[in-house]
Amino acid sequence: MLFNSLSFVVFLIIVLGLYYSKILNWSGKKRMLLLASYVFYGMWNPPLVVLLWISTVVDWTAGKKLATLTSPSKRKMWLLLSMVVNLGFLAFFKYGNFLLENFTNLVNTIGWDFQAKPMDIILPMGISFYTFQTMSYTIDMYKGKQERAKTFLDFALYVTFFPQLVAGPIVRAKDLITQFYEPKKATLNQFIWGLFLLTIGIFQKVVLADALLSSTSDKVFDSAKVLHGLDAWMGTLAFSGQIFFDFAGYSTCAIGIALMLGIILPDNFKYPYAAVGFSDLWRRWHISLSSWLRDYLYIPLGGNRHGITRMYVALTLTMLLGGLWHGAAWTFVIWGALHGTYLVVERLLKKLIPIKINVWNGVLLALLTYTLVNITWVFFRANDFDSAKRMISSMFYLHPDGEKILGFAEIGKVGIVILGLFMCHWLMRNTSMKAVSEKLPSWVLGVFWACLFFFICLAQGSGEQFIYFQF
Amino acid sequence: MNLKKSLWTAVILGFTFVTIWELYVRSKGYVSELDDNKALWAIQRDKVDDLASDDVILLGSSRVHFNVQLNEWEESTGIRPLMLASDGTTPTPIFEEIVNNTNFSGTVLIGVAPVLFFSEPGKGFMWDRPTKRLKHFYDRTYAQRTNHLLSIPLERSFAFLNASEEEWADDIDLKTLVGNISVGNRLPEGRPPFNNFGFVDGDRNVTMFEKTKTDTAFANGIIKVWGYGWDRRPGPVLEPVVSYYKPLIAKFKERGGNVIFLRSPSSGGNRERERNDIPRADFWDSFLEQINEPGYHFEDYDSLKHFTCPEESHLFTPDAEIFTKEIVKILLADKQIKTRNTN
Repeated sequence: MLFNSLSFVVFLIIVLGLYYSKILNWSGKKRMLLLASYVFYGMWNPPLVVLLWISTVVDWTAGKKLATLTSPSKRKMWLLLSMVVNLGFLAFFKYGNFLLENFTNLVNTIGWDFQAKPMDIILPMGISFYTFQTMSYTIDMYKGKQERAKTFLDFALYVTFFPQLVAGPIVRAKDLITQFYEPKKATLNQFIWGLFLLTIGIFQKVVLADALLSSTSDKVFDSAKVLHGLDAWMGTLAFSGQIFFDFAGYSTCAIGIALMLGIILPDNFKYPYAAVGFSDLWRRWHISLSSWLRDYLYIPLGGNRHGITRMYVALTLTMLLGGLWHGAAWTFVIWGALHGTYLVVERLLKKLIPIKINVWNGVLLALLTYTLVNITWVFFRANDFDSAKRMISSMFYLHPDGEKILGFAEIGKVGIVILGLFMCHWLMRNTSMKAVSEKLPSWVLGVFWACLFFFICLAQGSGEQFIYFQF
Repeated sequence: MNLKKSLWTAVILGFTFVTIWELYVRSKGYVSELDDNKALWAIQRDKVDDLASDDVILLGSSRVHFNVQLNEWEESTGIRPLMLASDGTTPTPIFEEIVNNTNFSGTVLIGVAPVLFFSEPGKGFMWDRPTKRLKHFYDRTYAQRTNHLLSIPLERSFAFLNASEEEWADDIDLKTLVGNISVGNRLPEGRPPFNNFGFVDGDRNVTMFEKTKTDTAFANGIIKVWGYGWDRRPGPVLEPVVSYYKPLIAKFKERGGNVIFLRSPSSGGNRERERNDIPRADFWDSFLEQINEPGYHFEDYDSLKHFTCPEESHLFTPDAEIFTKEIVKILLADKQIKTRNTN
């Protein structure tokens, strides 16, 4: 089910009605939320709910054993079991075809004529998100950083909680399970603010990502032609906006819906396109994933505790795997590699050229960061290496006679939206929407909210899937 | 800041904005109508398995869609045909799917719009569009089905909900409104604006907009689009189409099915282009001869050849009603279709 759909509106009204009715006690409400979460997921593909059940049962059992066993070898075995099941699902469903394709290419290269029949595997929606979430529970249990969930119901709801089930934020057990222990109810202000966040999230998705930017981005990236530099840049900028509004929109909806239930989810985006440098970017973009990668990959790989070289290797590996997490294709690996390289170069440069950031050089450095981020988005969005190569060469103006496929109006539209996006991020980089809204007169927020609602109605979204569902 | 006050302001203003917009678009002639999208098509496709051997499925492009009126057909035979024709498509992949994936053994009436029908199987937009509809029919999720069912009463109530899968130039969703803004001439002139000229009801029966008949400028706008298409489409092919249909028809007839081909009227410049580029003798006649199946060409019947299409390709609905009654009479006389009417 998509947040930007009519069925979700009906679903949410029913869930909220039951949640705030007096017919259910707290356990009943949690059971209702769990059932609702399975319905939310099953409306897409009912049989794949079984995967959620398996993940839940395996990690609940592993957590139970990790909490009671003292033998290090047995504890390690239970952790491994959890990892094998979770990563096994991920490997099969997400990377099965990719691995087979690469294996076939490899053996063909060494002269063995082998042709594999492609496996027709459905990618379960949001598998990367809930897999990482449940793994964090087991790993933290193993490390002794996390107490065992009090009841199976609390744990199952943690794995399946519908607002963030399919596209995050990836929430740690300690931040969410504990919220299920005591009865939760949103205050009136929390409920209204949650509804506002839901509206702004849907506005980002339906109006900004789908209605204003997606067609330009699709037109440019689906073109088989060598494009003029301006067209290539506008297509890439459009995609940079589309993916931000799409993904941040989802996270904002998720946070808002949870808040309407009185549950607090962490921020996932903090105005990332105003980042000054790449370390700053990853503290602002998909925060729940970057902190997951930091805690469960970068630090176990050595982090910055074993010298500079090891740190750079750890950083690069983390970003490469982060790239692969997004999709089973080498273009995603290149995307991750570029980010890894940017991070390494930034750390080297910081040592060589210490710069004190002020407003003037800050905005220039943010622009530079954003420009370099756009180069990486080409690999993220391109259908294959050839089109990525064509796009990059066009963006470096190597094809002055390249094909023009965008009109002035479309260029202007993307330009206005992206300029607005960048300015908004820059002005908001050290504050939050909540802080700004608190300074506004009530009627100004109301008018702004009404405009968001009107534009959502005007856009009449056709229920386009969120980009991050495929990850 | 008082959030409750903000919410009330938003609710009152938000609904006021939407109401003003609804009134404005109605004042501009828009009416509430269903979108003839893949979801609506899939609901009809779903009914195929329940059809009896005297039932009729209508396949083809917009010509069958506009020209065969379901109410008149039902009135004449007591049987309401199933409308699976889709605008701008060849019927071939849908016919193939019905033959291979269903047990339907009734009559399939296949409309032949020469430029779409005599095209290379598996290639071009005319093939991709019906294939996408089939894909949606098989892949649609429960969420998508529910969304569509919930959207129907809204589409029937509000004129401002006027975005279509066809992406007509006169849609009034934000994407189209912004997309219609034109500044300067960085690009060569593209396809002329293609405006919607008909609306469907729940079982996809089409009614042509009155203005298509009465507003010459509006009709000419559509005629320009046909002209643009003629200049850019690949040349017609016959043998690959014959080869594609032969085994399908054989399989369908083996289980008792009946296939009829129908060539609907066209007029003016469009008719001239059809005569010149896809001559009847070389394509229609030759096709029927090779597959050895019945075909009904409007030129062959006095009752069918006097119609004029307002935009050169489709019949105005009152004419389509007469056309339907006349073609049904002919088909009944030839025992190609059955009737459940007892009188």
